[in-house]
Amino acid sequence: MGGVKYCLPLLLLSLLIAECASRPLYTLPSLAKSGTKKPLQTSRPFNVAHRGANGEFPEETAPSYMRAIEEGADFIESDILSTKDGVLICHHDVNLDDTTDVADHKEFADRKRTYEVQGMNMTGFFTVDFTLEELKTLGAKQRYPFRDQQYNGKFQIITLDEYIAIALDATRVAGIYPEIKNPVFINQQVKWADGKKFEDKIVATLKKYGYKGSYMSKDWLKQPIFIQSFAATSLVYISNMTDSPKVFLIDDVTILTEDTNKTYAEITSDKYLDYIKPYVVGIGPWKDTIVPVDNNRLTTPTDLVARAHSRNLQVHPYTYRNENQFLHSGFHQDAYLEYDYWINKIGVDGLFTDFTGSLHNFQELTSPLPKLQ
Amino acid sequence: MILTKCLPLIWLSLVTLCAGRTLYQLPGKGVKDDTKQPIQTSRPFNIAHRGSNGEIPEETKAAYLRAIEEGTDFIETDILSSKDGVLICFHDVILDLTTDVASRKEFAGRNRTYDVQGFKITGFFTFDFTLKELKTLRTKQRYAFRDQQYNGKYPIITFEEFLAIARDAPRVVGIYPEIKNPVLMNQHVKWPGGKRFEDKVVETLKKHGYGGAYLSKQWLNKPLFIQSFAPSSLVYISNLTDSPKVLLIDDVTMPTQDTNQTYAEITSDTYFTYIKEYVVGIGPWKDTIVPVTNNYMLTPTDLVKRAHAHNLQVHPYTYRNENQFLHFNFSQDPYMEYEYWIKEIGVDGLFTDFTGSLHNYQEWASPLPDTSSKSTRQLLSHIASLVRPYAKA
Repeated sequence: MGGVKYCLPLLLLSLLIAECASRPLYTLPSLAKSGTKKPLQTSRPFNVAHRGANGEFPEETAPSYMRAIEEGADFIESDILSTKDGVLICHHDVNLDDTTDVADHKEFADRKRTYEVQGMNMTGFFTVDFTLEELKTLGAKQRYPFRDQQYNGKFQIITLDEYIAIALDATRVAGIYPEIKNPVFINQQVKWADGKKFEDKIVATLKKYGYKGSYMSKDWLKQPIFIQSFAATSLVYISNMTDSPKVFLIDDVTILTEDTNKTYAEITSDKYLDYIKPYVVGIGPWKDTIVPVDNNRLTTPTDLVARAHSRNLQVHPYTYRNENQFLHSGFHQDAYLEYDYWINKIGVDGLFTDFTGSLHNFQELTSPLPKLQ
Repeated sequence: MILTKCLPLIWLSLVTLCAGRTLYQLPGKGVKDDTKQPIQTSRPFNIAHRGSNGEIPEETKAAYLRAIEEGTDFIETDILSSKDGVLICFHDVILDLTTDVASRKEFAGRNRTYDVQGFKITGFFTFDFTLKELKTLRTKQRYAFRDQQYNGKYPIITFEEFLAIARDAPRVVGIYPEIKNPVLMNQHVKWPGGKRFEDKVVETLKKHGYGGAYLSKQWLNKPLFIQSFAPSSLVYISNLTDSPKVLLIDDVTMPTQDTNQTYAEITSDTYFTYIKEYVVGIGPWKDTIVPVTNNYMLTPTDLVKRAHAHNLQVHPYTYRNENQFLHFNFSQDPYMEYEYWIKEIGVDGLFTDFTGSLHNYQEWASPLPDTSSKSTRQLLSHIASLVRPYAKA
């Protein structure tokens, strides 16, 4: 009885203190209701950070993506491949030679292999021959010698899950743009449980994190996504599994599709565009096939964009780079003039760029978003 | 009687007088200067370094016309001399890197070696060729990574031809000539009457109506900065012309060609106090204002602050678009470089190889105050931006 007499005031006092004086519990920024995040802009062509801000950081690393978001990207883009143990990672090349320090790792010296990839023999250290644990011991490096080398060896390869986390943790709505990369090769080399294919695993991961909804739906605007691939059959295959918008990538005029062995002429024909249209919201061509180049000078544009637009297909060409060796003569070594041409003359709907900041700058200077009241 | 005969003639004359077209002068020639669009003075000067040489071989008429087309405030040039004392627009003392002289068999024996600012240089020197001979040469683009399509098309121009380009422009375009290598020129070329290289330059400018202190009415009609790395040349001409002058400053290791003074000396406060009686500004190499290591910029020096404290303008050189010239801070983006130098460092003018890019940047980031035609365009642009979010379904 005496105990209760003492406890009760204490209890009441504790309650009082807890109520009045304690800190309010704010949810961490990234976990805030997505309705409070600054939304995706949809009034001007999409700024797609190709492999992150890889003009400045080694491609497809966490800093590369965070920098891209910081610089104003609408979407951060990535290529999905697989490890030996079936973990989905963000990496562009099927081999590790050009973008990691694998060659310096003596413990992996015997892992060099030769495989046939899209009809060509390739020798190197392949992602599918390393477990995730092993890949995580490697350091990413800047692919191009004329770009900043100071981060070489500092950052790791990241997984699809980690990439998604970067997008979801951003303080504004940042879209993702993952590519189902080399699915033919991956499915040959890696087997998943229950007979699941590479495409199945990717979609399962995306769904796990709540990616769903058709283009411009409420769900989509909360977590924007485009799923891209050079392999049309992969996009068709996943069309039943997810209503997320898909984009069909188109390679150079001489390259055949890896899954169906079709030519450029075939997959850009009216007939094919009519066929693929129910499955995709757009196409992603190599920009020098849209406007052919002769002696580093742009020639007359083809009608590809017009034919795509007439079918309500978006066009997101790749890839825009600031360095003068990538800029055609008419642009006077000025990447902004290139953006101007593609956005205002050709009228594309999105651009894959290595220099997110420059595209963002250009768009902010010439087509600033309307101010919120 | 005579009158009746003359009447038709008088009648015809009256008709002509009343109904005939007024004689308009051709646009470029002799338009009263105050009807041309004036030079802008509200934002840093866009100085077309050797013309628009990012696109067209440097210091040619085409390069200058292109720069004017692209919106430059000033066209810049380097004055050297031919053997027969004619002032030409040319940057290097030798012809090898920017002309086809090496392929000209008739000049095969003209190769020489001279001492230039303490270095031995071998090549075909401008002052070993008469103007007539120089005019047979054709220019080429200096940098292999720039457009080569105009190689062999354009000749070297004279200083007077350069002045005509500015005069004939459809708007007021300033000129920014450099008294280049005056020590060398005066060594190798003699003019009658004991005139020096500097005298000839100023004489030519005056002949074409250039004069007047900075921002004076006369200056605004025909804007001009005279630049040189040789302070003694600028001091020498200070009595001859009140046109504004700019002292160029080379890299930290280079002494002045005429007075053998070090960088440290000519950028000291004492020196600024001295030289500001003769010049309105300085033109330093930009990597000395903000030093660079490993292609990253370090903390800016106080050079600009001190120059500004002495009321000296700062016009650094040279801004180029190519990524090998851009420090990593700028993410291979020349617009970010312009923004840094204009907004953070606060320079008053920029020598650029890419006039169009600088003009673009300035037009987007700091458009000039409304003239009536501009405000219509801005209004339309504003309406477009209001409508845009509703345009996409």
